[in-house]
Amino acid sequence: MVLADQLPVLIVITPLIGAFLAPLIYRRHEKASGYLVLLSLLLSVVMAVFLLIKVRRDGPYFYQMGNWPPPWGIEYVADPLRVFMLLVVVAISLWIFLFAIEDLQHELRRTVIGWYYALYLLLVASMAAITMTNDLFNLFVFMEICAITSCAIITVKEDRECLEAGFKYLILSAMGTGCFLLGVALLYMVTGQLNFGFLQQELTAAVINYPLNVFTAAALFIVAFGTKAALFPLHVWLPDAHASAPSPSSAMLSGLVIKIYAFSLFVIFYRVFPRSLLDSLPLSEIVLWLAAFGVMFGSVYAMLQTDLKKMLAYSSIGQIAFIFMGIGLDQRLALVGGLYHIAVHAITKAMLFMAAGAIIYATGVRRISDMNGIGRVMPLVLVAFTVGSASMIGIPGTGGLISKWYLALGALEIGRSLFVLVILLSSLLNAIYYMPIVINAFMSQDDFACQVKEVPKVLQSALVIGMIFVVITGIFSRPLTLLLEEAVTVFF
Amino acid sequence: MAEKTVVAIQIIIVLAPIIMTPVIMYSCRISDQLRNGLSVATAAVTFILSLTLYPFIKDGGIVQLSLFEILPNLEISIRLDLLSFSLAALSSFVWLLATLYSLRYMAREHAGGRYYPVLIFTLGSCQGIFFAGDLFSLFVFFELMSIIAYILVIHEQTEEALKAGYKYLVMTIIGGLALFFGIIIIFELGGTVSLGVGPIIQERSTLGLIAFICFLIGFGMKAGMFPLHVWLPDAHPVAPSPASALLSGIMLKTGAYGLVRVVFFVYSYQLLQTSNWNDILAALAVITILLGSAVALTQTDIKRRLAYSSISQLGYVLLGLSILNNNAITGAIFHIFSHAFMKSALFLAAGAIIWKTGKRNIADFKGLGRQMPVTMGCFALAALAMIGIPPLNGFLSKWTLALGALDAEAPGFVLVLLISSLLNALYYLPIIIPAFFELPDSLQADHHGDEHDLPPVKIEEATPLMLSAIVILALCTIFFGLTPNNIAFSLSRLTAVYLLGGGGL
Repeated sequence: MVLADQLPVLIVITPLIGAFLAPLIYRRHEKASGYLVLLSLLLSVVMAVFLLIKVRRDGPYFYQMGNWPPPWGIEYVADPLRVFMLLVVVAISLWIFLFAIEDLQHELRRTVIGWYYALYLLLVASMAAITMTNDLFNLFVFMEICAITSCAIITVKEDRECLEAGFKYLILSAMGTGCFLLGVALLYMVTGQLNFGFLQQELTAAVINYPLNVFTAAALFIVAFGTKAALFPLHVWLPDAHASAPSPSSAMLSGLVIKIYAFSLFVIFYRVFPRSLLDSLPLSEIVLWLAAFGVMFGSVYAMLQTDLKKMLAYSSIGQIAFIFMGIGLDQRLALVGGLYHIAVHAITKAMLFMAAGAIIYATGVRRISDMNGIGRVMPLVLVAFTVGSASMIGIPGTGGLISKWYLALGALEIGRSLFVLVILLSSLLNAIYYMPIVINAFMSQDDFACQVKEVPKVLQSALVIGMIFVVITGIFSRPLTLLLEEAVTVFF
Repeated sequence: MAEKTVVAIQIIIVLAPIIMTPVIMYSCRISDQLRNGLSVATAAVTFILSLTLYPFIKDGGIVQLSLFEILPNLEISIRLDLLSFSLAALSSFVWLLATLYSLRYMAREHAGGRYYPVLIFTLGSCQGIFFAGDLFSLFVFFELMSIIAYILVIHEQTEEALKAGYKYLVMTIIGGLALFFGIIIIFELGGTVSLGVGPIIQERSTLGLIAFICFLIGFGMKAGMFPLHVWLPDAHPVAPSPASALLSGIMLKTGAYGLVRVVFFVYSYQLLQTSNWNDILAALAVITILLGSAVALTQTDIKRRLAYSSISQLGYVLLGLSILNNNAITGAIFHIFSHAFMKSALFLAAGAIIWKTGKRNIADFKGLGRQMPVTMGCFALAALAMIGIPPLNGFLSKWTLALGALDAEAPGFVLVLLISSLLNALYYLPIIIPAFFELPDSLQADHHGDEHDLPPVKIEEATPLMLSAIVILALCTIFFGLTPNNIAFSLSRLTAVYLLGGGGL
C-alpha cells in the first residue's frame, strides 16, 4: 500500500499539523482543541503500531524524503530499534497528555494552554523525527526544535523559578547543540557526508587519515549528548528545570526528552562511528565511568532532597545513567538492558511525576516531610507512587528488575562485576530514599493536615494505566526484549 | 496421581490465597464475620490441598515444569519434591492454626481489614517459595513474601514498630539484592538457574564463591544468621502474636529452605566439602547458636527472648546443613519441623498471656501458671522441647544432629549443642518455674502462712479457640518426638537420603 510506505513521515507530520491547528481552535473551543491534540497523538500511536508490524513483517526499510535519494535528500530509517523508540515516544506522550489535559487547567493561565498544546505536539514531532532520522543535519534541526520547545514548556508557567530554570536550561542546551554542530562540521570537513550510512563508510578511512578531526568530533558528541541527557557531571541544569516545570512537562522531560538524546548517542555510536573507532578510542569506557558515577551521585543527591519533585528529578539523573551504562558496557545484553530501561524508566518516572502532580494538584504539598499520612487520604495516587518506587528499586514483578537483570548479566559476561555492584548499590540507595516516603504516607501516625481536593477521574485513570504498564513490563517483558535482542544483534 | 493434577493442585495452592486477598479485602465492607470465615477457609483449603499431594510424594514422584518464560532461559517454573512437600505442608498447617488463633486475638486490635488479606497473601507467596522450580521464581516469591510481611511487622504502627519495620525492610532489600547478584552469577556461570538439572556449579571458581556468599547473605539474613540477625529481635516481637508465630515459626524457615536448595541443587555438595566453603556456614552457625542463646538470657521482654531464641534455633538448622552427612541433614530438616511447632506454640502462648493479662515482662509471670494453667502448661511443654528434654521433638532433632556431628568426627559441634541446650535451660526455666511455683508480687505481701497453703487463684484462660491452637501445637511437640517413627521424622530421613543422593533430579 502506498500510504503504508509513507508512515515514517506521516508520524512526524500528524503532530506538526496538530500543533498548528490546536492554538487556533483553542480560541473558539477549548475542549475541542484538547481533543484534537489527543486525536493527533492517537493517530501517531496507531501509525507507529502499524509501522512496527510492517517492519516486523517486511524487514527494515529506508524512507527517502521527497524521493530524493541520499546523499542529497533526507533519509528516515524504520528498523525495529527506531520503531521501538518511536512507539515509546508517541505512546507515552499520549498517555502523559491524558494527564495534562486536566492538570493544566489548574497549573497554567487559561490563555496559554492553547500555546502549550502547540508546544507539546511540536515536541512530540521533533522527538519522533529524531528517533528515525538518518541524517546528521536533520538530527541537528530537530534537536533544536526539541530544545526550544522543552525550554518553552518549562517556562510556560512564567513564575520566577521557572524562568530561571528555563534560562539555565536554554544556555546549557544551546552549548550542547553548539558542540554537536561543531562535531558535525568536523566530520563533514573530512568526509563530505551527513548521511549516517555514507558517513560510516567514509569514516573508516578518515579515522586513519584525519584522526584529530574524528577524535575531536567524538569528544564533542559525548559532551553534546551528555549535556542534553544530563549525564553526570553535565547534569546541573536538570533538577531545577524538571522540578519547577508544570507536572506534565516534568513527566515529559524526565520521561522522554532526556532519553531521546541518550538514544541518539547510541545511534551515533553504532550507526555513524565505524567499529574501528570504538575499538581504538576508549569512548565506551568514558561513557561507562561517567554513567557509573551518575548512578551513584544521582541517588546520593536524591537522598538529600526535601522537595518531592526535586527528588524525582535527581533520581532521573541516576536512572538515565543506567541507559548510558548499557551503551558504555558495549555488550549485547547490556545494550538490551539499557534500551529496555528507556521504556521502563519513561513509564515509571512519568508515572511518579504524575503522582507528584496529582498530590500537588489536590493538596498543594511539595515537601516530603509534609506528606505523612497522605496515603490514607488519597490511596490510589500513593499506590501508584508505591508501584513506581518498586520499579525504581527493582522489586521483582516490575520492569526495573528486567533492565537491571540484563545490564548486570551483560556486565558479568565481559567480566566487569564491579558495575554489577554499582547497579546493586544504587538499587539499595533508591530503596533508602523512596521507601520512607511510601511508609510515612501510609503508616505514619500523624494525620494528614492539609485540605484535600478530589483528584479528577482522568488523572486517576492515567495513573492506573501507568501501574498496568509497569507490571506488564515486569512480567510480560519477553516480546519486547526479544525484539530488542534481535535488533541489537546487528551491532556485534 | 497424574502429574497434571499435581501441577494443577500446586498452582491452586499458590494462587488461591493470592487471588483471595482482594476478595478478603473487599469482604470487610460486608462484615467482619465473612472476612474471618474466608480467611480461615482459604488457609484450610491450602492445608488440605497440600496434604493431598502426599500419595504422589510417597511414591517418590517429582515434578519439574516450566510455566512461562520471563527472560531468555529464565522461566517461572514449578517443582515438587520431598523437600517442597514437607515445608509446604508444615507451613500451611501452622498458618491455619495461626489464622484460627487470630480470629479472637485480632478482634481487639485495629485494622483487621489490613491484617487478614496480608496474612493470606503471605501464605500464598510462602507456598510459592516452596514450590518454585528455579532460583528466579524462588527469588520472586521470596521478595514478595518478605516485602508484604512488612505490613505484619508494623501492624501496631507505634514508633517502635515503624522503626523495627524500617530496619526489617532495609535488611530485606539488602538481602534481596545479594540474592539477585548470586542468581545472576549462577546464571552467568551455568546458563540456567533451574533446580531440576542437578548441581549447576560443579567446579571451584572465585565467582562461584562470591555467589555462595551472596546466597549466604540473602537467605541467611532471612534465617537470622549472625551477623545479619540484627533486624530479627526488633521485628518479630513488635508484630501481633500470631504474626510473630508465623514470622519466627515459618518465614524464618524460608531462608533455611533457600540455603538447602543452594547447597544441594545449585552447588554440588561435594564441591562445598572439598573446597571447604561449608566451613563458612559452620562457623557462622556456631556463632549464631551461641550468640542467640546468650543474648536471649539478657532479655526481659518475653517476646524478645523468644525472638533471640529463634536466632539460636535456626543456627541448629544451619549447623546441620554445614555438616553435610545423612544424620546431620536429617536433624536439620527435622529441626525445621520441630522449631516450627515449638516456637509457634511459644509465641501463641505468649500472645495469649499478653492478650489476657497484658504482661510482657518475664518478672511479672510469677504465679501465672495457676491463673492460666493450660496456656502455661503448653508453654512449659514447648520450652522443655526447646531445651531438648526427651521425649519431646527438640530432643530428637538435637540427638540426630549430634549423631551427625560425631559421624563427621567433629565432637566440637556436639559441645556447642550441649552448651546451647544448657543456655536454653537457663533462659526458659526461669520463666516456667516462677510461673508455677511462686506467688505473684501482689499476693506476696499479704501472704505469710504455710507455703503449701496457697490461696486459690481464679482461672482465667484465653478463649477456647485460641487455646486449641496452642494445645495442638504443643501436642505436636510430643507427638513428633515420642518415637522416631513419626511422619515428620521419616520425611526428614527420606529427604536427607534424597538430597545426598543428588536430588533425584
